[in-house]
Amino acid sequence: MSAAATMHMPREGSNYDEISMQQSLLFSDCLKDLKNLRTQLYSAAEYFELSYTNDGDTQSVVETLKDYAIKALVNTVDHLGSVTYKVNDFVDEKVDQVAGTELRVACIEQRLRMCQEFMDHEGRSQQSLVINTPKFHKRYILPSAGEIKKGGNLAKLKSVESSFGDEADWNQFRNTVRTTIRETPPPPLRRPVLPSPPPQRKTQRSATFSFSSISNTAPKKEQDKRAVSPHRFPLLRSGSVAIRPTSVSRPTTPSKSRTITPKRYPSEPRRSASVRVAFEKEAQKEPEQQQQHQQPSKSRRLLKALLSRRKTKKDDTLYTYLDEY
Amino acid sequence: MAKAGGITNAVNVGIAVQADWENREFISHISLNVRRLFEFLVQFESTTKSKLASLNEKLDLLERRLEMLEVQVSTATANPSLFAT
Repeated sequence: MSAAATMHMPREGSNYDEISMQQSLLFSDCLKDLKNLRTQLYSAAEYFELSYTNDGDTQSVVETLKDYAIKALVNTVDHLGSVTYKVNDFVDEKVDQVAGTELRVACIEQRLRMCQEFMDHEGRSQQSLVINTPKFHKRYILPSAGEIKKGGNLAKLKSVESSFGDEADWNQFRNTVRTTIRETPPPPLRRPVLPSPPPQRKTQRSATFSFSSISNTAPKKEQDKRAVSPHRFPLLRSGSVAIRPTSVSRPTTPSKSRTITPKRYPSEPRRSASVRVAFEKEAQKEPEQQQQHQQPSKSRRLLKALLSRRKTKKDDTLYTYLDEY
Repeated sequence: MAKAGGITNAVNVGIAVQADWENREFISHISLNVRRLFEFLVQFESTTKSKLASLNEKLDLLERRLEMLEVQVSTATANPSLFAT
């Protein structure tokens, strides 16, 4: 079958070439006949004119002239018809060839465009793979605005911060809280579970007591849970490292302290650690009785500060904030 | 005799006139067909010219597109580093 097919193809090709050659020869013959027809008609007109004038039998000359004119006209029409048909066919064939060539060129252009798009895509993907995105540790990544809005403690802290409308109240409250924290002996090392919970429990108790005395909106069940669960401290303290507002470079409005850069976080634990060491030394020097004697006065100051607060609506959020401290 | 000669002359004149009319009719037919042939040739010329003009325009467009493709392919082959993955 393949041999037969290969044999048929050259024959078809040769036949096609022969046919096209014959057609082209016929076309050229037709054109030559049309060119010669003019001279023939002129020569025939001269001959009939001479014969009409010289010969006596004019009738036969006229009849012959008529027959010749009719035949010449029919022959001319025939020649012109064949020539025009061939010209039309030739032009249509060339138009079809041009349309096929346009289709091929369009196909090539489309393939070239696809290749170019593929190259661009590959280049983009390579360049995107080359770029190394910076990877930060989880604790250095600030939560986004949406998470802050959605998050519980952070949102509560924000609301508590915003509740302190006046900066003087805020500073007073902060200083009071810090003094109460300083008086309580902090743990010697950063451990998640505090070794000596009684002093901090006292502060928390005082805070909860003072706050419950201010407003009775908080449910008692929640207060009991908060007072009983000491395991909340490490989690809240670890969370407060990332969100604790700095006391040195604090902006005028407390709500703007949310724009803390990640570079400030590594320095924050160091400062707190040194402060803790100093407090530890002080605590070792001071007797415990003096601490117990001073605690009520400090807690009283905390109570005053809390009483001087303007808005006392969000108690739960304030509890969280106090827990973080 | 004179009457017969006059009749024959009249008949001859009539025959001649008829022949003349026939010749005129023949010539008019021939001229009409020649005019038709001329009109056909004029129409054929116009159609062929328009076809050739459109063909020429298409060929010019194809030539430009092929030149652009040649340039693109030549630039692509001149920089083989573009194809290196």
